[in-house]
Amino acid sequence: MLNRRDLLRAAASAGALGTVWPLASGLSPAEAHAAALDLGASWDAAPFCLGVGSGDPLPDSVILWTRLVVEPLAFSQPLPEVVEVSWTVALDRTMRSVVARGTVAASNLLGHSVHVPVSGLRPGRTYYYQFRALGKRSRVGRTRTAPVGPVARARFATANCQAFHDGFYAAWAGIAAEKLDFVVHLGDYIYEHGQVGGAHVRDHEGAAVLSLADYRRRHALYKGDPSLRAAHAAHPFFLTWDDHEVVNDYSGSEGSAPFVKRRAAAYQAWYEHLPIRSGSALEPQIYRRRQWGSLLDLTVLDLRQYRSAQNLPDGTILGPVQKQWLLDGISSARETWQVWINSIMLSQLARPGGGYYFTDQWDGFLRERREVLGHVASSGMKDLVVLTGDWHSAFVDDIRPDFDDLSSPVIGTEFTAHSITSGAYSPEWNAVNGPVLGAANPHLKYFEGNRYGYDVYEVTPSRFSAHMRVIGDRRDPASPVSTLTTFHVDRGTAGSYEDPATVGSPAQYRRP
Amino acid sequence: MTDLIVNGDAEQGLTGWLTVAGAPVVLRYDTGQGYPGPGDPGPAQRGASFFGGGNAALSTLRQSVTLPRRSSQFVLSGWLGGYAAQQDGARLSVEFLDSGGTPRGLVVLGPVTAEERSGRTGLVERSARGTVPPGSRTAVVTLQLTRSGGGSSNDGYADNISFTVEAR
Repeated sequence: MLNRRDLLRAAASAGALGTVWPLASGLSPAEAHAAALDLGASWDAAPFCLGVGSGDPLPDSVILWTRLVVEPLAFSQPLPEVVEVSWTVALDRTMRSVVARGTVAASNLLGHSVHVPVSGLRPGRTYYYQFRALGKRSRVGRTRTAPVGPVARARFATANCQAFHDGFYAAWAGIAAEKLDFVVHLGDYIYEHGQVGGAHVRDHEGAAVLSLADYRRRHALYKGDPSLRAAHAAHPFFLTWDDHEVVNDYSGSEGSAPFVKRRAAAYQAWYEHLPIRSGSALEPQIYRRRQWGSLLDLTVLDLRQYRSAQNLPDGTILGPVQKQWLLDGISSARETWQVWINSIMLSQLARPGGGYYFTDQWDGFLRERREVLGHVASSGMKDLVVLTGDWHSAFVDDIRPDFDDLSSPVIGTEFTAHSITSGAYSPEWNAVNGPVLGAANPHLKYFEGNRYGYDVYEVTPSRFSAHMRVIGDRRDPASPVSTLTTFHVDRGTAGSYEDPATVGSPAQYRRP
Repeated sequence: MTDLIVNGDAEQGLTGWLTVAGAPVVLRYDTGQGYPGPGDPGPAQRGASFFGGGNAALSTLRQSVTLPRRSSQFVLSGWLGGYAAQQDGARLSVEFLDSGGTPRGLVVLGPVTAEERSGRTGLVERSARGTVPPGSRTAVVTLQLTRSGGGSSNDGYADNISFTVEAR
């Protein structure tokens, strides 16, 4: 079998990769192509190398995003301090039926990123958009506003954990090709560590990232996968984050000067590279509640910025302000699908004999979990579905206010999705430990850790279905996508069940 | 160049500043007890007082200012510091917002680490200059003082905060 890097290199020399952009001005075009390919990266034409995106759809508004760069992996960009960018929104892909347009200044003080909150749009509509700067046009992106009123069906995907060095983004190519209303990113959009070496298909561009310039380069590298750019251009995104956008297992309330400096750099770079609606790039408030017509409410949680250290008697994963906001939202929840966007596992994952697998997740914040889930139970909120990432493996859990008390009621379902690429445990570990996980956690219904991909959720007023999409091989950027299995939750009935058509699919644990 | 910050030198207590988190305080250089004194690193014209983090892990002060029409260049500066080898610190930032509240630019100074202070109690000057992003209407100047680890005293210190803007 031919080495993929050799194939890409051959394609570049044949001129087939016209979108590759030089890494540094000191390199000839051929050298720059080779260097980019060694990193497994290619980009759109400058200055829109990183592509375009849209996010946070409301009934009348979306955020349009791009960031101007000329040399994606350079520490500084050869651009004026301020560059004027024009933007256009149209009803058609050819950009003829224009409904909104304007100009905005892209400043070096935000890495020449652009965030345009376009307003005055109509609910439940598809729009197309394009940027223009320095005499060049970006690719055309597609977006969609949130509907209002009754909605017969919604279809969206979640994605999480996309370690660049662990594989190509065939899963993102799958998401780009799906017919979706929106995409949710559950975090670990980048990884902060240095090069990993070894037999990986590609690698990070340098050492662990610490400064703003470092984080910008890392985000630019990740945007060097064309499938990720295609997904951003195809669908609007809702986003939360997990730890690796800054550093492994961090608590946002940590106050030491080196960490405070690093966290600010990481948050700013995250904002600069994504379609975020926020009043601050320094400390963006990303927890929010959004409605998709009368069909579903999305509660986007931030489980990093305000958390305390783990395993404290009075510890918090939400922070006091967000916790009160969540409790208030539970108290006043509409009778519709209540969907929580939750970066890191909510359900208990106990070890046999005592203790927990990871207390960086909600298992390290027991009192707060009991308070929140107890309030769900006591308030009578129904139809709770929690969507989670982080674990690099798929889980389906029944949610109970007290996981140790099997007589406590099931109050919701948690779907934890496969990762886009980030490495899971070995098949051997999964085969041995799947049944162990199941035995120690009676609320766990399903575990599968040998595959990579994303979830697609299909929602109607009567049923919430989770389709686990998986790819064949992370080493193949064009690996085909298939559906491993599907779980359903019926409206008004807490708890999930597997679709009979896929109940025989491979898994390392399935509760009988 | 017009300085848009009120009481950036802490000589009028917390006048002009909005406390948005914690319990920031104003300390005097003649306090002793290990706090920065007249002979420690810091501004030459330091007056009698400086800002401190008080007894909260996170203390934040803020001033939101309306930018002059036709703003062109800005300079943000401040003296930021901490205590001995501890990593408590002060961070000064300015965020430029447009009329709809969308960020148009961000500058962050500090916090100054213990290593950057050579492990000495005191304050170090940090500054940045640049072009006010066109479309900016307000500037949010934030001084954040953070405590590292345990204990009660937040030994992030700051003095002589300045944000000047030149109008064309």
